[in-house]
Amino acid sequence: MKAGLRITLDKIFTVVAGASVVCLCLVLVGVLGPMLWRGGSAVVFKGTVEFRRMQLTLFSRGNEDKIAAEVKQAEIARAKVYSEIEKFKAGIDAQTLTEKARQIYRQFGNDLRQVNTSAGEVTELRSVTRQIRDRLESAFASSNAAEVNESLAYVLSFKNDSRFKNTSAAGLIELAEQYRNAIHGVNLAERQRYYQEIRQVEDILVELLGPAPGAQTPALMMNRFGATRWDLAQKLLGRLLWYEEWTKQGPEQPMVRRLTPRSQRFAGTEIEGLFTYIQQNLPEMLKPKTTIYWQYFIDDSTPGHYFGGVGPEILGTLLLTLLAMLFVVPFGVISAAYLVECASDNLAIRLIRMSINTLAGVPSIVFGLFGLAFFVLFFLPIFGAPSKGCILAASMTLAVLTLPVMIRSSEEAIRAVPHAYKEASLALGASRFRTFVKVTLPAALPGILTGVILSLSRVAGETAPVLFTGAVALGPVPKSIFDPTRTLSYGSYDMAVGDKLAAMVPHNQFGMVVTLVLLILCLNTAAIVLRSKVFKKLAGH
Amino acid sequence: MKMNLRNETAPNRQTPQCACPIISSKDFHFYYGATMGVKNITMNVNPCSVTAIIGPSGCGKSTFLRSINRMNDLIPNIRTEGKLCVDGQDIYDKRVNLVNLRQQVGMVFQKPNPFPKSIFDNVAYGPRLQGITKRADLDEVVEQGLKASVLWEEVKDNLRKSALALSGGQQQRLCIARALATRPRVLLMDEPCSALDPLATSKIEDLITQLKNDYTIVIVTHNMQQAARVSDMTAFFCLGELIEYDVTSKIFENPSNKKTEDYITGRFG
Repeated sequence: MKAGLRITLDKIFTVVAGASVVCLCLVLVGVLGPMLWRGGSAVVFKGTVEFRRMQLTLFSRGNEDKIAAEVKQAEIARAKVYSEIEKFKAGIDAQTLTEKARQIYRQFGNDLRQVNTSAGEVTELRSVTRQIRDRLESAFASSNAAEVNESLAYVLSFKNDSRFKNTSAAGLIELAEQYRNAIHGVNLAERQRYYQEIRQVEDILVELLGPAPGAQTPALMMNRFGATRWDLAQKLLGRLLWYEEWTKQGPEQPMVRRLTPRSQRFAGTEIEGLFTYIQQNLPEMLKPKTTIYWQYFIDDSTPGHYFGGVGPEILGTLLLTLLAMLFVVPFGVISAAYLVECASDNLAIRLIRMSINTLAGVPSIVFGLFGLAFFVLFFLPIFGAPSKGCILAASMTLAVLTLPVMIRSSEEAIRAVPHAYKEASLALGASRFRTFVKVTLPAALPGILTGVILSLSRVAGETAPVLFTGAVALGPVPKSIFDPTRTLSYGSYDMAVGDKLAAMVPHNQFGMVVTLVLLILCLNTAAIVLRSKVFKKLAGH
Repeated sequence: MKMNLRNETAPNRQTPQCACPIISSKDFHFYYGATMGVKNITMNVNPCSVTAIIGPSGCGKSTFLRSINRMNDLIPNIRTEGKLCVDGQDIYDKRVNLVNLRQQVGMVFQKPNPFPKSIFDNVAYGPRLQGITKRADLDEVVEQGLKASVLWEEVKDNLRKSALALSGGQQQRLCIARALATRPRVLLMDEPCSALDPLATSKIEDLITQLKNDYTIVIVTHNMQQAARVSDMTAFFCLGELIEYDVTSKIFENPSNKKTEDYITGRFG
């Protein structure tokens, strides 16, 4: 081959190899970057006043006075929203209005008994009031504007009647007046629709701003606070401003989503302008502020990861991983030592080796079911422990899962120790056991630690084996190794598949995944540092 | 010419047969499975002497050497016949304590093989096996070992340093110190200088000459000048058999066997 061609080929090889490395790095950044970005938003985000209120209530964090002042300011901005909705509802909700009218009528009847009036007068007053009430009720119920106006005009004709002055019956007339104002410009035929949609608006407002003032504390924790994060608030604002409708274009056609501005749905009513007001004043109502929520990594989470952090998940993952390591390292090293040092090459040993290799490739869900059948249902009851998923069973399952990896890497490491070391030790009169413990094992330690690193990463991230053997999505922080635990891997799985709430807090899911990656990174870094220290010591630097 | 000089300086050690040999083999056979390692070896080694074993590659000299402290036991399917005694005790007897035997018969290997530990721990390895745990005792044993292998002056200030940081010659002397620290009676050396440069080799050779006063040394070597320089007795092995065993000067000047002569003069093979 000509020298020129050879040099060209060399260069091409270098360029291709370099390019592939760059491509790999780009792919890695492309995958990890968005994940880190979105996961990072679990820790750094714009927190609203609701977030600070939640932190104060649930975790007693923050300056009480400052937050109270903030809440007050926000409430001033919000007041208009609630009062307008209240006013609008007054003219829409026929049922409530009817109830009110009836109550006033009853009250008036009771009042009449107290007053010293002649029986005939009472009867007449009663019948007039009943008539007023009935006309009012028909006005509330009717959707015909002319009919309603006629009924209201009849009722209002008693406005200046001296018989009703300063009695409870005046309430009926007041009610009629309110109603007339409320339905001003309202298409009465659509009252039912208004009623339903205003309920929808109220529901979204609860999610956005928290429970309305004066409402009783909701039973569910997640309903006690509004949007804690500005991004969540924006999402809810979108739902508030746009009415979503699924319509069929025609037969055999798929449903199509159509968005209409909600102000258009309420066109011509008093609250038409309210939506623009909310949009413009939302920052005033929620007071978003850039927050670094480092406590994300230590906080417990309140229902369904809606508020709070992933502290118990991290704890559980660490516990499971370290406990599994505690099981797998001694067993793995001892097995490897046997295979290298003691086992002769016969059929049984070859079968064992083959089994180990096969086990390394078995899907993890199989180990999960094995763990359920063996550890949870069989092994634990033998020792009198309750037969339920727990940290002990899960970590033992994980240990079994990663045992083949550990055995193989330890075996390689032990085999790679120079024979000369062993010979030297034996020639000095050491027994085989002593030679293994004092010479072979220390020399094989870096390789064994490599196995530990590999196992560690696998164990910390596995979901399927802990699915049946000790992981839960929600639950208390474990008190002993006989309690089930939350884990990062299972948590993110659970949020991905089930919870409707989870859709509202995607940052939490990404946060868990990123936390898991970081946790494995930390564990691995620790093991790698340890390994390089051991290696340096062995190499004599 | 050098070999003559060497033999003239130490004429009194050339006693082929002694009343109480420390190593004596009688019709000793060694098999690797079905393959013959060495056969029919009958020779005696006197205490406080240097015996060199020479011969072409594959002649069984290393096999015989390793048989003396049973290092061959590591290989599966080995078999022996005949007798091989150290200090009058048949070492292939079932009752022999291997640990004791190997502490009595130390070994130095072809390539320096210090443990990846500190210099101190390397030398203290044997004594610790013997149950010496007191710091002061260990210090003394280590110092004696290192002094005996003439390494003390070079390493006394950094005994905590890793043995792997030493040079090849120093490492080999450390291995000798390590072997000496168990206070053996016999020291087997399997081509101890083959991986070393001439300067380090001459240091080891000087060391062997010194050690002869206290230890019985059996050395396998490919270097015939070395055999002539350091040994009192020389055994010539060929194809698993002991061809000739005699005083070194006789082997090198006036061998009685033709094969020996051919090998020594370089006409062999």
